[in-house]
Amino acid sequence: MELAALEKQLRTLQTESIKKIGAADSSAALEELGSSLLGKRGALTDLLRGIGALSADDRPKIGAIANEVRAAIDTALADRRSAASAAELVTRISAESVDSTTPGPLPQLGSLHPIPETIGAIAQIMASFGFTVAEGQEIEDDVTNFQLLNIPEDHPSRDLWDTLYLREPGQLLRTHTSPGQIRTMRAVQPPIRVILPGRCFRYEAVDASHGFEFHQVEGLLVDKGATLADLKGILDELARGLFGASTRTRFRPGYYPFTEPSVAVDVSWGGSKDGWMTILGAGMVHPIVLENGGIDPETHQGFAFGLGVERIAMLRHQIPDLRALLENDIRMLRGLR
Amino acid sequence: MRVPLSWLREFVDVQLTVEQLADALTLRGLEVRGVERWGANWQKMVVGELLEVSPHPRADRLQLTKVRVGKDQILEVVCGARNIAAGQRVPVALVGALMPDGRLIERAEKMGVASEGMLCSGAELDATDDGDGILILDAKAPIGTPLSDYLGEEVIDVDVKPNRGDLLSLLGLAREVGGITGSSVKYSVRKLSEGGVAVSDGLALRVEREADAPRVVLRVVDGVKVGAAPDAVQMRLKAAGLRSISNVVDATNYIMLELGKPTHAFDRSAVGEAIQIRHAKAKEQLETLDHVNRILDADDLVVADERGALALAGVMGGASSEVSAKTESVVIESAIFSPILIRRAAQRHSLRSEASHRFERGQELDLAPLAADQVAALITAWAGGTVRKGHLDSNPTTVGQTRQIAFRPQRVRQLLGVEISDADQGKLLGGISLATSPAKEGASVQITAKRSVPSAKGETLVAAVPPWRRDLELEADITEEVARLYGYDHIPPTLPGRDLPGYQPQPTALRDRIRSLLAAQGLNEAVTHALVAKMLSERHAEPLNLVSGPLAVSEGEASNQTLLLANPLSADHDQLRRSLLPSLLDRAEANLRYGAVSGALFEVGRGYAGGKKGPTEWTRLGLIVWGEMGAAAPGSIVRCWDLDELKRLIRMITSAASATPRYMPLSAGDSTLLHPGRAARIAGDGVAGLIGELHPAAPEWRESPRILMAEIAVQGLSAGQPAVRRIVLPPTTPPIQRDVALAAPGGVSVGDLMALAEETVPLANSVELFDLFTGAGVEKGGRSVGLRFTFQPSAASELDDAIASQLDAFTTRAAKQHGTRVRGAEAE
Repeated sequence: MELAALEKQLRTLQTESIKKIGAADSSAALEELGSSLLGKRGALTDLLRGIGALSADDRPKIGAIANEVRAAIDTALADRRSAASAAELVTRISAESVDSTTPGPLPQLGSLHPIPETIGAIAQIMASFGFTVAEGQEIEDDVTNFQLLNIPEDHPSRDLWDTLYLREPGQLLRTHTSPGQIRTMRAVQPPIRVILPGRCFRYEAVDASHGFEFHQVEGLLVDKGATLADLKGILDELARGLFGASTRTRFRPGYYPFTEPSVAVDVSWGGSKDGWMTILGAGMVHPIVLENGGIDPETHQGFAFGLGVERIAMLRHQIPDLRALLENDIRMLRGLR
Repeated sequence: MRVPLSWLREFVDVQLTVEQLADALTLRGLEVRGVERWGANWQKMVVGELLEVSPHPRADRLQLTKVRVGKDQILEVVCGARNIAAGQRVPVALVGALMPDGRLIERAEKMGVASEGMLCSGAELDATDDGDGILILDAKAPIGTPLSDYLGEEVIDVDVKPNRGDLLSLLGLAREVGGITGSSVKYSVRKLSEGGVAVSDGLALRVEREADAPRVVLRVVDGVKVGAAPDAVQMRLKAAGLRSISNVVDATNYIMLELGKPTHAFDRSAVGEAIQIRHAKAKEQLETLDHVNRILDADDLVVADERGALALAGVMGGASSEVSAKTESVVIESAIFSPILIRRAAQRHSLRSEASHRFERGQELDLAPLAADQVAALITAWAGGTVRKGHLDSNPTTVGQTRQIAFRPQRVRQLLGVEISDADQGKLLGGISLATSPAKEGASVQITAKRSVPSAKGETLVAAVPPWRRDLELEADITEEVARLYGYDHIPPTLPGRDLPGYQPQPTALRDRIRSLLAAQGLNEAVTHALVAKMLSERHAEPLNLVSGPLAVSEGEASNQTLLLANPLSADHDQLRRSLLPSLLDRAEANLRYGAVSGALFEVGRGYAGGKKGPTEWTRLGLIVWGEMGAAAPGSIVRCWDLDELKRLIRMITSAASATPRYMPLSAGDSTLLHPGRAARIAGDGVAGLIGELHPAAPEWRESPRILMAEIAVQGLSAGQPAVRRIVLPPTTPPIQRDVALAAPGGVSVGDLMALAEETVPLANSVELFDLFTGAGVEKGGRSVGLRFTFQPSAASELDDAIASQLDAFTTRAAKQHGTRVRGAEAE
């Protein structure tokens, strides 16, 4: 074959190939076209099979021309391929589109109850001061619930606790978590730092702020040097942990037979008439109580506090009526996530 | 205690505004519960001057008045009272005034004459008990002044703590106010003029046991004229919260508020010659002032004469000796009684009175003669008469003792955490009449009732405690006084350092993990009542042997006995629950009523029962679910709660506690609350309980949604940690699975087959149910049960023979015990 004829064939292949490439409309068609033109058994390879008939001088010439043709087809293929895949992407995106602004199905909204949650919040704050949780018994005896706490029989201070008694003689439902102080002191050597959360019971008519069942958290610290100033410090931190860093506290004398001095603690509260809300009672553990707990009041001292969980939960969650807490209306529970 | 401020001012110079006073008292431990203006409701009522009083032209019972209520304001008012005359100053309710009884004053025609207001009686104002005549005011009362300004009164309500009986009196509160302001307290003893016969003429006193009544004083006033107390007295008592009775009784109440000392006045004519303070005789009867005939207890203390009981001492007088309009002579009894006896009697007879409230808190002995004299003086001032010469006194030599309490100022500082010098401590205590001085050599410091320590020289002070501070006994009591007087707000807060306890495990760790898992699964935590009704409690007679083995909860000690309250508030809450399920069912039912067609609640709570060693309590987890498990996405379907889904939850919970649940058929009598055909008993290592659908006979049952519940005891729920898993590196050989399909006749339970599988194939790491069906290839009524055994050999084919022989043993025993037949066992 002559050089000129072969060159013409190659040029024709280039022109026609580029035309075909221009007409191809999908990546798949281009892929096929590419291999039919430039592949091992493609048109270009076919033509070059005739190269053997050429003279040694002409061979490099035709090789150069063939490379030109291959490059031109390659370029055309690449250009066309990228255009086609861009178009295909647009088509795919449009075809696969959905309305992504739908809210999505609701998860089942589980929740933890505000009473145990509040106890947990208190436990967490107190844990940072080294207090661990201990839980006592709800059925108590008169001795531990009252007498060992310096509340003798027939003393007017008993009026502070209206008691629910069991039919078993001497057995009652604890009126406060304070008997846990005695049980803890008898079980553990100082230094003691515990909180004692749990359910308490009183003979009390139910209204928006009272119930015959309620929860308290007792705190007890006994060591060799704890002071009333320390009690103030700890309770300041607790109040700020529960109600926010800007919470202010007011400490004033209170009365509990098992603490001396006794303290009533108010926190600043916008909702109350004079700006103060009483949230807990506290004091230095009475020496008689330390003695009853088996601890020498000459070498050890400590403080205790007790707070009403429902009241704290109501303040924190802005629940207006205590009765709602035991109603367990799922709508309310879900709102308290 | 309600305190009219004008009265308080008679004893101490208050100096402060009422708000300042309220704050100062509160910060000293005398919590002021409220401040109110007594008479604030007298709106549109003013002081008026009667200019003219003339007869009504058409009605004999009415009079026409002209009354000046302002400089140029003269009203014509028709009045029905007879006690008025020109020149008097009277309260006038103007048109538009709302009377305390709710009546609105309007311009009115009264028998043809216009009336532009109303002249008021004390009763109409609710100021005195006199309803017959107009309340005549002081002749200098400023005309036109609003009545609430002129007659009204600031009243503070102080919450007096049980240890401070001395503050149940104006004098006691005045002492505290004096301590705040530095003013001195003055009590002017009223002069008594005695005359006539001696008190002992025809009257004797005997106290059976001195411990019951350490001091009793009697006085007699003859020739009294019982009537109303002066208006000002009546108003003062009313402001203080007491009702006016008569001048004689009001005198006793007046002194009770003034000194804190209750006394009682008897009609002399109803009292014999020998007054005695003694215990009641068995079955002795007494009609008290409230006209209740009471059967007395031998523990009751009575004031009696030779014929019988006259009064329940310290609690309430008797009807037979009540002072009445006919009374001419009175016996005043002023006694100090045993606080405990009075408290018990008041409780026994459910008779809490102002008097018993004070007697329970004790009184100093000196008050007995003082109060008797003061009451006698007031009676003669208000009701006339003559005080007989002398008084009878059961214990005239006793006087109020000033007690000495030693304390160590250094110990005070050590306890309070603030530097208050010895001198400053002394100064603070001196402000409330506790004089301090250095302790004598060898004085001991009382730390507790049982224990005193010797004081070191120079380090101890002694506080002289006046007799009215009966609450002060120990060093700690003095510490509290110092702290209170110093002011808690002056003690700077600190944090306790050093001296920390060692590690203690957090007992709620596992419980909190389980609670969080359940909440994450969409369940809502509930807290329900521990006290339930009999009806609720009896619904669920779960077996007491529910929990056994490694679950060392106290139920092992529990008996069948439900714990009942001795004094229940109501039948709805008269016993302690044994199971959580009835309470949860009650809440599920409430939620269904509120429209919650689906729901899932759980509670970690206690159950209670009697036991061999007394009452016991334990902690369990209760679950109750109904309806759909969640909201559906559009176009998809949501699963409803069923036994399998509930079991999925239980599996999750128990895996947190490293426990493995197994389900066993329910035995008869396990529960009346659960559907006998759709319930199971849960038993396994570290877990026990019941699960099932609500019994179709239960009143809460409905076709849809079905209610399912479970109650489980999990090891560590009461106090425990999530187990730390042992991590075993798996061998490179793949696990081997063997599936066994058994054709089981009807009545054979999967739980039983699985228990047998675990027992007979100990090599298996796990046994799971992978297939369960009825139909092709299974006899009628029976089921095909597919069990998948997973083994993890450490080297390939190591176990082949052993596995085959254990599986054989299983199928053989299953065939023998349960009549099953192998449908095929293929290796995978």
